[in-house]
Amino acid sequence: MGALDGVRVIEIGEGICAPYCGQLCADAGAEVLKVEPSRGDWARQMGPPFVNGESPVFLCLNRNKKSVVLNLETGEGREALKKLVKDADVVIEDLAPGFAEDNGIGYDALRQINDKLIYLGISPYGEKGPYARKPATELTIQAMSEYTASLGVIGEPPVRLGTDVADTNTAVFGFQGILSAYFHRLRTGEGQKVAVNMFGSLLSMRGTLWSAQSDGIESWYGFHCDSYVKPPDHGYQTGTLPVYFTLRRGNEEAYSTVLIEFEMFDAINDPRFGEGGRDATGTGRLAHEVKPIWEAGFASKTADEVCEIINRNDGEAVPITDYEYLFAHPQTEAIDIVRQVDHPKAGKFRVLRTPWKFSEVPEGKYEPPPALGQHTEEVLRKAGLSAQEISRLSPARKG
Amino acid sequence: MAKGILDGIRVCDMTLAAVGPWATMLLASMGADVIKIEAPGMGDISRFVPPMVNKMSVLYIACNMNKRGVTLDLKHPRERDIAYKIAEKSDIFIENMRSGTADRMGFSYEQLSKLNPRIIYASANAWGSTGPMGPISGADPSVQAFSGWASITGAPGGKPEMYRYVAHIDLTTSSYFVAAVLQALIEREKTGKGMKVDVTMLGSALNLQTSRVAEFFATGKTPPRLGSATAATVPHQAFLCQEGQWIAVGVVTDDQWQRLCKAIEAPALASDERFSTNPGRVQNRDELIPRLEKIFITKPVRWWEIKLDAAGVPNGRFYDFHNLRYHPHVAANGQIFDLDAGSYGHVNMGGLPWNFSKSATRSDRNPVPGEHTQQVLQELGLAPAQPGSRPG
Repeated sequence: MGALDGVRVIEIGEGICAPYCGQLCADAGAEVLKVEPSRGDWARQMGPPFVNGESPVFLCLNRNKKSVVLNLETGEGREALKKLVKDADVVIEDLAPGFAEDNGIGYDALRQINDKLIYLGISPYGEKGPYARKPATELTIQAMSEYTASLGVIGEPPVRLGTDVADTNTAVFGFQGILSAYFHRLRTGEGQKVAVNMFGSLLSMRGTLWSAQSDGIESWYGFHCDSYVKPPDHGYQTGTLPVYFTLRRGNEEAYSTVLIEFEMFDAINDPRFGEGGRDATGTGRLAHEVKPIWEAGFASKTADEVCEIINRNDGEAVPITDYEYLFAHPQTEAIDIVRQVDHPKAGKFRVLRTPWKFSEVPEGKYEPPPALGQHTEEVLRKAGLSAQEISRLSPARKG
Repeated sequence: MAKGILDGIRVCDMTLAAVGPWATMLLASMGADVIKIEAPGMGDISRFVPPMVNKMSVLYIACNMNKRGVTLDLKHPRERDIAYKIAEKSDIFIENMRSGTADRMGFSYEQLSKLNPRIIYASANAWGSTGPMGPISGADPSVQAFSGWASITGAPGGKPEMYRYVAHIDLTTSSYFVAAVLQALIEREKTGKGMKVDVTMLGSALNLQTSRVAEFFATGKTPPRLGSATAATVPHQAFLCQEGQWIAVGVVTDDQWQRLCKAIEAPALASDERFSTNPGRVQNRDELIPRLEKIFITKPVRWWEIKLDAAGVPNGRFYDFHNLRYHPHVAANGQIFDLDAGSYGHVNMGGLPWNFSKSATRSDRNPVPGEHTQQVLQELGLAPAQPGSRPG
């Protein structure tokens, strides 16, 4: 049950981006045929750690799918793909940029076979311009899109976001593209191509910072621009985890209570802490300078205690968690986001459900990710290939 | 002329700040008629977040492209009725206030679905409606902090690091929010019924970290912070080059590894069995990386860029805005463009994330707050205001 119930998706892509997009489709009820090369999706090799030979990253990105091995470098492999496309609704394509077009399996070729097809083309940089054929990975896209400039220290080794934002955010934009093209097709009967790219996704999402650097901006100050030059933000140290906090200004009584509860008696008369903490907290001018004073006040308390005091006094405070703390916390429990999948080799493992809840649409299922080529024969038979044709496609060894 | 995907879809938009407005901006970019309702006076708080251009914040300009602007005082019964009328004639009602606020204002799903059973009622909040943090408001930095995302970012051996650009989690939530609304529209197309849609910033931030949380689910341990390096693929990090600049290199397949070794003229590495598979390279990274560092330091970035490009090995530079704003590739793809924001002047804008071959998208200026109040009232068949009185 879901928006893509009854929709068949062919997912041709490896790693994180296309597979996550395919998984979002599968979670929305689509039948997803994952086309893999004979060596398998390279994400199957992401690790250590492995769980009984399975990559945890692969396991978390490929539930609810069927695996079909096709060698798209060969004419026969591409012919077999075209047979699958005939009865498909959606193709997600994230091959080496330019490969699909060059080899007769791009949108222009596939729409001849199936004119209602929805074709999501994912590329590293976008289809026009000098980088149209440049390959990329998560890090190279973060670097090229200036994403790393909001981390680390100028002049020291670059720091990347540990989260795979280029891959994952692009997958969500791709999913939006599929959903909207499908909506359009329901209304008009028309298929079309949707193109997304990793570089463009990050440039789009960093957009408010581009806006902040427009001509005519009155000053460099602002909650974006000085982010380039600020030191790394590690939060405020406590006796346990660091915390992030802000105080809502204007409540003098609450502010005094905060300073008293943390025994920061000198701060009460310190002009740097005046005006309800405007300069001394958050993005305030002097926040960095007086940070050690706050941290001295927090040192004898746990992160939870510090947050409780601040939240009780018209502020907003949370610990800067690690995953151990986060997944044991009652709020994570309250949003009910962890599910379980049972895999024949890896056993039971946890995954995250998608972040939406619908009043009228029940949640989908959680079938384990497929073994490499697990459904090749079944799927190709259904598509009309003979046993002989199928065996000609498979190499002697299986993956 | 081509129509937008959401041509004919109307959105009653009571969102504020960034999470909600950026989502409705994307819907408007696909052709929806988004009616942004703001209170008189201050209205959407994002208007006042610096930096400003011609007395309007660039944040408001960026998050409110393509919308119509209506000013209504929802505490005033007649104006609240106008808002109900807009909702009644809309396909989507959307808000991102703290849990319970919309209900208290008289705009609950129960009320609006009575007026319009086909309405899709979409809500986003920070932490969810239940649990100890349900009542707490949340913004991008607090969700960054709480969602574990800082714990996997930072210099090796250093402390967890927050992301100093405090919009990525907001706009990620917007992105999941849009996907959720689109699913509801599809469902409604099939069933004729509306529904309630709920998304949280915390759930969105966690989903964004799917590929990293996976390692925690397997090991019970938060993955280590590695600077520019990557936990599960090697070599996938920055290398210092001769002139003191860094090159980003990404090798994720064994083919790319062999081509890298050839490009940097390191046959000993290519034939070293320990490094011939990704798991081997990850396992033996402490032996491998210093040897690569010694090679990359011998030549400038440009040298390696040419070699690796020719070999089809992913690589990149650490660009800044100055490199990007007028870069030919960025210009060719419209990934940063100049928005004519009318009375507010010209503002740099990030491009839309998708390109459709048949359907149109739009990138037109934000409204002046309240700019379309009279127009919308007239469309609804409501009497225009007497001069000098509210609304408009």
